[in-house]
Amino acid sequence: MERPLLEARGIGKSFPGVRALDDVNLTLAKGSIHALLGENGAGKSTLIKILTGVHRLDEGELLLDGQPVRFADPHAAIAAGVGVVHQERNLIPRFSVAENIMLERLGPSVLSKVDQSVLQAEAKRWLDLLELDVDPATPVGRLSAAKMQLVEIAKALSLRSRVLLMDEPTASLTPHETTHLFALLERLKRDGVTIVFVSHKLEEVLQICDSVTVLRDGRNACQSQSMAGMGRQDLVRLMIGRNEQIPAWAERDRTTEPVVLQLTDVSTMLGHKNVSLTLHAGEILGLYGLVGAGRSELAKCLIGLFPIASGTVAIDGKTVAINSVSEALHRHGLGYVSEDRKGEGLVLAHSVLANAGITVWSKLAGLLGYLKDGTVRSRVSPAIERLEVKTPSLAQQVGLLSGGNQQKVSVAKWLAAGVKILIVDEPSVGIDIKTKAYLHELLRALAEDGTSILLITSDMPEMITLADRISVMDGYRVTGTLVNNRDYRQMSEGIMRLIHGEEPAEDRVVVA
Amino acid sequence: MQPAGTLPAAPARPAKTASFVQAGFLGGNEFGLIVLICVFAAIFSLATKGFASPFNLFTLGRTMAIDIVIGFSMMVVIVSGGLNLAVGAIGVCAVMAGGFAMERLGFSWPLGLAVTLLVGAALGAVNGEVIVRSGVHSFIITLATMSIFFGGMVFLSRAEAFRGLPPEVAQFGKLRLMGFLSPLFLVSIVAGLVLAWLYRLTALGRRMLAAGASPRAAEVSGIRVDRTIVGCHILSGILAALAGAMLTARHGAAIPSMAGHLGQDWLLPAFLAPVLGGTLLTGGKVSVLGTFLGAMLVSALTNGLLLLRVGEFWVQAFLGLLLLAAVLLDLGRRRLLARHRIAV
Amino acid sequence: MQTFLGKATDTDWFGPLIVVVIAVAAIGSIEPSFLSSFNVQVLLSAIAVNLVIALAQMIIIALGQMNLSVGAIGGLVAIAFAGMMEVWGLPAPLALILALAIGTAAGLANGIIIARTGISAFIITLASLSFYKGVNLGITEAQPFYGIPEAVKAFGNTNMLGPIPWLVLPAAIAGLFIWYLLAKLRVGRQILAVGGNAHAAELSGISIVETTVWAHGLSGLLAALGGVMVVARLQIGQPSIGDDWLILSFAAPVIGGAVLAGGHVSVAGTALGVVVVAIITQSLVLFHIDPFVVQIVLGVLILWAVGINRWREVRVERRLRRA
Repeated sequence: MERPLLEARGIGKSFPGVRALDDVNLTLAKGSIHALLGENGAGKSTLIKILTGVHRLDEGELLLDGQPVRFADPHAAIAAGVGVVHQERNLIPRFSVAENIMLERLGPSVLSKVDQSVLQAEAKRWLDLLELDVDPATPVGRLSAAKMQLVEIAKALSLRSRVLLMDEPTASLTPHETTHLFALLERLKRDGVTIVFVSHKLEEVLQICDSVTVLRDGRNACQSQSMAGMGRQDLVRLMIGRNEQIPAWAERDRTTEPVVLQLTDVSTMLGHKNVSLTLHAGEILGLYGLVGAGRSELAKCLIGLFPIASGTVAIDGKTVAINSVSEALHRHGLGYVSEDRKGEGLVLAHSVLANAGITVWSKLAGLLGYLKDGTVRSRVSPAIERLEVKTPSLAQQVGLLSGGNQQKVSVAKWLAAGVKILIVDEPSVGIDIKTKAYLHELLRALAEDGTSILLITSDMPEMITLADRISVMDGYRVTGTLVNNRDYRQMSEGIMRLIHGEEPAEDRVVVA
Repeated sequence: MQPAGTLPAAPARPAKTASFVQAGFLGGNEFGLIVLICVFAAIFSLATKGFASPFNLFTLGRTMAIDIVIGFSMMVVIVSGGLNLAVGAIGVCAVMAGGFAMERLGFSWPLGLAVTLLVGAALGAVNGEVIVRSGVHSFIITLATMSIFFGGMVFLSRAEAFRGLPPEVAQFGKLRLMGFLSPLFLVSIVAGLVLAWLYRLTALGRRMLAAGASPRAAEVSGIRVDRTIVGCHILSGILAALAGAMLTARHGAAIPSMAGHLGQDWLLPAFLAPVLGGTLLTGGKVSVLGTFLGAMLVSALTNGLLLLRVGEFWVQAFLGLLLLAAVLLDLGRRRLLARHRIAV
Repeated sequence: MQTFLGKATDTDWFGPLIVVVIAVAAIGSIEPSFLSSFNVQVLLSAIAVNLVIALAQMIIIALGQMNLSVGAIGGLVAIAFAGMMEVWGLPAPLALILALAIGTAAGLANGIIIARTGISAFIITLASLSFYKGVNLGITEAQPFYGIPEAVKAFGNTNMLGPIPWLVLPAAIAGLFIWYLLAKLRVGRQILAVGGNAHAAELSGISIVETTVWAHGLSGLLAALGGVMVVARLQIGQPSIGDDWLILSFAAPVIGGAVLAGGHVSVAGTALGVVVVAIITQSLVLFHIDPFVVQIVLGVLILWAVGINRWREVRVERRLRRA
């Protein structure tokens, strides 16, 4: 067999409280398209960051052309020929396409004159190679997302990248643009470029990848296996493990309970069209969809961060107009556990007490807003204890806790507030298995106690473990709703069909 | 240095983890500032004749008091992650309005003070509203309003001072308690206590800190971040007006030029005190005591250096270096802590 | 024509240009002396000096930072320039070179500290503002230097051609140089790249440290040039030179469409911004309005320009979304 172009051997990486990668191997053959798969939190992004020099590895080694390499920083990786096309664009919006591609090579010294025509001629070569028909003098900020991505690919290629990491490259592309991109990747492959393709969309992986590495819980579920003969089921099985991971909990039906949250033909300023959902008291309604289906965005419209354009939202049967999170929380008892724990969920620099109590300050404050730590503590402690947050004290800075404990705190603050409706967005991203199982039990227990939960997750086993019913979203619409019979295979297939809109009415369960 | 009181099971952590206001007293800025103040006070007392004299302590106390409140007026917006270049302009505008009310309209001094503080609050509210509604950074907005407020004040007042204030104003500035203590210093202590109460013991103060540390997280947790930020700017305006009122008491007159061109003379003390005191410029963390002590250190150093006959002008250069040294030391300290944390 | 107009409204210079044309026409028709040769000369002198000051700030805005010490550097250089000639009796050209070197060094010091420590430019330049100003006052004890050679005085107060003063020459050279640097030279492109997206620039091998130091060095050099020009115009080395530069140095670039977050500035826009400010100032004098109204107008102009820039951003975004 030919010597692999890039090889990762026994990679280990730990963060405080979490073992992100454990003895992970990856072998990339020259001129191939290699899929890197795994659920959220499986260690994919950590591995990518190690390959591109963002993180240093704790254990193991990287071999490029058989030679051990160490990337001190991202630029070192690029210089060694490992290019990356990120979801967030690494382009200078006001610079021309040519200048962005050639940014590394503007001139020999800082005082040398930048000859735009030379840059444009050179850039044109790479654009032509990609059959990208844009004027190299156009400012990048004026291009569509798809074209910007192609510019990034052109830039990586022009730096003699032999390995091209593509992180969710099709997330913001139309089907037509995706087809074009795939034709291009095929061509690059024939020219000897190795492409690492990271995607949630398994159809795409099946369509264009030659080999696959799947990560699960920071370990290899499979290592550089050929895609020949592999089907979607095989990939899903590798990603999520076998079916018995679903706990044998009883099926629940809460549709006879009163409706607490009802969306009727809701359209939003973010682009949702005619979304209708029904959430009953004590029910867990799942909202499944691929990344970019508009689920978190819908949640943010519901809690008043973005306006609703038309349709009605009713809570406990009364039509409501929620203009801020403060109203959602204090008037309607509606809370939101954000998927972006570090950005939106928690104030990392503040204490556990301040984070868990943030939702109850207004309620607890006395005359002139008087509020002692003790008052907050007595309100928050039960929630912290119920969630078994492991912290030396309530005064501990949240940013220093492990991911799992951080997530517990971000749930605890809504428990402390005593919300009736809780929207939970990707609750188990970046937390360990034990905490995840614990959170599942907790959410189930909360629902048993009467809290209504709208669960957003891309983690299929999590969805089937927890949800009573599952609504599927695609392209900012709800494509259907299924009753969860806890049969993993049936449910996952039903959901997939709804995502692709293959199965019309018969799978939809008419909601009373 | 480790905080004294964490549980034995807890690994060694940096000192700033405890409550809202920085705890871990021995490892914090406050302790270092107290040591520095004592050291310099001792040096100046020995090296100069006048430093420890009751009269010098009295005038020093007055200066300190004003610098402390100026520092507070900046600190309360730094908490929200912004800044307020217009503190000086607001302070002068507010006292000129108060001076007008007392001299021309015949208001008594309590009413005059009320007018002063109200104008300060109103101008702060203007800043806050414009920042929140435009979504533009507070730097450029307050740079513009600083020019507008100050220009408007000079235009309306024709750059003339109000010297015919009620006699109580000047008397308050001259009053000496126990021979050395200015009541202005007591005013700054009260202001500090009120602020400490705000951040430690009220819901509003907690909201301000949360909005400053992470506006998005605060918003998603049900805090009206916009209103809170406007609140911070109103508070800043009130404190700037209070500092102006204290300065007026010292001068016995409301003078348009008392904070320099556009009120720029206040900027350095306004930033020095919170930065020396360990308030994070990025927002979300505050030390009222630190700001208090920071301003004390700056005033004491200025006073001592002047007594040592270091020219008045070189003192300004020295204060610039002091600010630089303070941020560099803080940076070093944080890097050390970060390394320590990784080692743990 | 339509497309030309459409394109023109997208540029940074179009708005300020319209304002300038209308203002000149309006003020000139009410008060014909506004366009008198003398008044034009006064106007051009003010524009020349202020342009250099605005450029000193603009190059730092391009980098996505700010420099509060522009005025302090200008003041320090001004008294150094005057002092070297009066006290040491240095010939003007030598004093000029040394003065510019002092300004550049002061800017470089800013840049090195900011780049090496990663502390915000705001706080570092606030500290250096105070330091440079203190040194200025410590040296002069707030007394001006009067011994300015005649040649220097003449340069600041005579005309090169018709009503065009000599001071326009260094300002025009500085403007063209900065335009050329930002548009054509690698260092200029690096400054704009770092301002536009520092992370992307770093991934492309651009040294943030080197770029920051360059920008601040240039800012210091321009501030120094501004200080020297003011000395020539005022005919004395005033220690208070530079005290009132701060607002103006931000106003002109912002009126000229500079994005405060960095990555986009316009020399032409900034120049027109300076012209707008100068016309307003001058017309206030002409109509005997309290000169302090200028402060109000400057502040309002900044707010207005910030509002306009924001509106344009929103419009571009909307158009992109439609496309």
